[in-house]
Amino acid sequence: MEAESVWLGLSRPTVLKLAKSVSAITFVVWAVMVINRMFLGGNGMYELLRPEGGLMAAAILVLTILTVVMWSIYLSDFKGTIEIEQDGVFDKVSLVLSRLAMLSVIAIEVVMLYEVISRYVFNAPTLWANELSLWIASVLFLLAGVYAMQQRSHIRIYIIYDMFPRWAKKTADTVSVLLIMIFTFCLVWGGYNEALLKFSRMEKYGTAWNPPIPATVKPLILILIILVTFQAISNLIADWNKDDSHSPEDEIDQTEIENIRKTLES
Amino acid sequence: MFDVGTISLILLISMFVLLAIGMPLGFASAFLAVMTLVMKFGPDLLFSNFGRGPLAVLGQAVYRQMTNYVLISVPLFIFMAALLERSGIARDMYSSLNVWLNRTRGGIAIVTSVMAVIMAAMSGIIGGEVVLLGLIALPQMLRLGYNQNLAIGTICASGSLGTMIPPSIVLIMYGLVTETSIKALFTASFLPGFMLATFFIIYIIVTTQLDPSKAPLPETDPNDPKGLDKALMFLGFLGRFGMWITGTLLVRVLFFTVTGQNTVTEGVDPIPLGMASDIMPIVVAFVICGVAAFGIAGRARTAKGWEMGKGLIAPTVVIGVVLGSIYGGITGITEAAGMGVIAVFVIGLIRREMTFEIVWDSVMRTLKSTGTIIWVTIGAAALAAAYTLVGGPNYVANLIVGTELPTMGVILIMMLIFLVMGMFMDWIGIVLLVMPVFLPIVLKLPVAELGWFGSLDPKYVGVWFGVVFCMNMQVSFLSPPFGPAAFYLKSVAPDHISLTDIFRGFFPFIGLQLLALGVLLAWPPIITIFLV
Repeated sequence: MEAESVWLGLSRPTVLKLAKSVSAITFVVWAVMVINRMFLGGNGMYELLRPEGGLMAAAILVLTILTVVMWSIYLSDFKGTIEIEQDGVFDKVSLVLSRLAMLSVIAIEVVMLYEVISRYVFNAPTLWANELSLWIASVLFLLAGVYAMQQRSHIRIYIIYDMFPRWAKKTADTVSVLLIMIFTFCLVWGGYNEALLKFSRMEKYGTAWNPPIPATVKPLILILIILVTFQAISNLIADWNKDDSHSPEDEIDQTEIENIRKTLES
Repeated sequence: MFDVGTISLILLISMFVLLAIGMPLGFASAFLAVMTLVMKFGPDLLFSNFGRGPLAVLGQAVYRQMTNYVLISVPLFIFMAALLERSGIARDMYSSLNVWLNRTRGGIAIVTSVMAVIMAAMSGIIGGEVVLLGLIALPQMLRLGYNQNLAIGTICASGSLGTMIPPSIVLIMYGLVTETSIKALFTASFLPGFMLATFFIIYIIVTTQLDPSKAPLPETDPNDPKGLDKALMFLGFLGRFGMWITGTLLVRVLFFTVTGQNTVTEGVDPIPLGMASDIMPIVVAFVICGVAAFGIAGRARTAKGWEMGKGLIAPTVVIGVVLGSIYGGITGITEAAGMGVIAVFVIGLIRREMTFEIVWDSVMRTLKSTGTIIWVTIGAAALAAAYTLVGGPNYVANLIVGTELPTMGVILIMMLIFLVMGMFMDWIGIVLLVMPVFLPIVLKLPVAELGWFGSLDPKYVGVWFGVVFCMNMQVSFLSPPFGPAAFYLKSVAPDHISLTDIFRGFFPFIGLQLLALGVLLAWPPIITIFLV
């Protein structure tokens, strides 16, 4: 498991230790809440987002977020086999965010499993599972966008582009990034007030559990699209002197095929 | 500032230009959304006030997509397919299917098609399927001396069925864009999907019967059971498998009865196969299966048949979980996808194949594909919102309807546009960008004139068009010069098979796909047979 470090270097063990200890604390606090809930009728998921949850709820929220972030930092130090080399100035941020998104895919699975079991086996549907998965998913989609930008995995049409000489390609790339910047600028221009308003009012989703989805997701859209724009600029700089020729065969993931082959032979 | 017609024309031209200079599709559409608003309202109105104004529709459009519950099913289906690829389920399924059909002419090609249908019913994306079939079946067919074009065409055409047979990611995105019921789309696409698969199989049988040299039979294995014996073994396998299924259903219904979840209540839908009145039929089915397995086939044959056929069990369980969740009225599409992931994961655990590495790798792959799709979704959502705000779709619809072209003429032109776009563009771009313009036109056309036989219920026109679109996209997976199936197969085929060879093998199958499309167009009610 001692894979090459992407960016943490010698501090990787420290980060791992930190991640583990934060998880341990979070786990204990969660356990206390669950026991409280089961035997003493204390706070549940409903109170978690409400002032009446008190210190305990706040601690849980902060600790959970901290745990996930710590693990994301740790995991971003390992390069996935399907990932391209990171060399842009902004790539580290995107990689940490991508690990956060990857953990959230698993989190959605866990939440859904919990809901299905409690609804169909124990006949006790939860109030919060659907909204929680929606909340996590909306963040996941935005983070996936940043990741796709960092990995340059966009749907593009290369037929004409590849006929361009090198300087024209560079011009075209610059124009693309400029147009992305214009879009981001206009998106922020039009959405700033609404996002700020919803955030300052902590606007809720209007359901039973009532998570503050509009209050968090609306500002996040603006923030993450700004990050994507940074990533686009960083890509432009990093790829400036790279030779790029494309063929539809690039879309094929050789690692994936190698993995499938191995599975079939075992 | 400008009128709708000018804006539409400028948008169309700018889209071509931006795509030509290699701008990612999602960002090109996002930028064009801004341009649309500028052309409509003029910069003065847009930028007079920081933080408000018509530009707000962009953020709102993006927000609507981000908080769409059904969209969650997309990453989950991708995740499931990624896990499925790395488990040995497909390999075992192939050997189990092959056992029953290895004495039939063209058997491996038929097995490939059948296996593709089963895999299509498990997952909703293509790519992995073509690779899997290419790795498993292609070497076998080439070794036996099958006609190369037949082998290639069978693998790629069948491997593309993933999006035609539910669950299908193409239909999910279509349902999201057009606000059509995804469940109805799935039900409607069942029959056309199977029809297409049947066309493939009939084609294989007919060509191999006409020219047996295209599909030589393997050497006879003296240990291989023959004729009646094999049929009885298969019966025994079916019986034993049926006992497991009915047994599980029996336990389930008894559980519901004991816990009182299935009491008949007014206004609450009955649980499918879960009411107290269902106990008797289930018991009868259980007994029939038992008689078939142990009475007719006999214990020894059943045991042997079970050994030969058990590779079919895991796929059946996965299909049961995914489609059962959707059609059993248990959960929505999103939960069905979630449960599908769990089912594949648990089966992988039981088979001792799942490792942390495989899961992590699959999540990474999921995220990458999701990110790609999400950008197109965001960009197209913004563009569609801006274009609708300026009245674009309505304008185009009236323009087309006003030309007094015959109804089927309009539809055929659309088919041509889909097919040509499919040669150069991913399906996701087409569904997100073109559908918001095309569907309103189709909905405005007189329903009675759609198709040449039978008439379609007006409320299913959207569903019908979705299935038609899906069939078009089947062609786009194979059509040169960029048919993705060809490139997937090329990456696993022996070196002497060139890309040209591969595309050459596709032609009869593209013909079959167009034939199926023709049936759909000529006889629209085909989709409503299972829709009630």
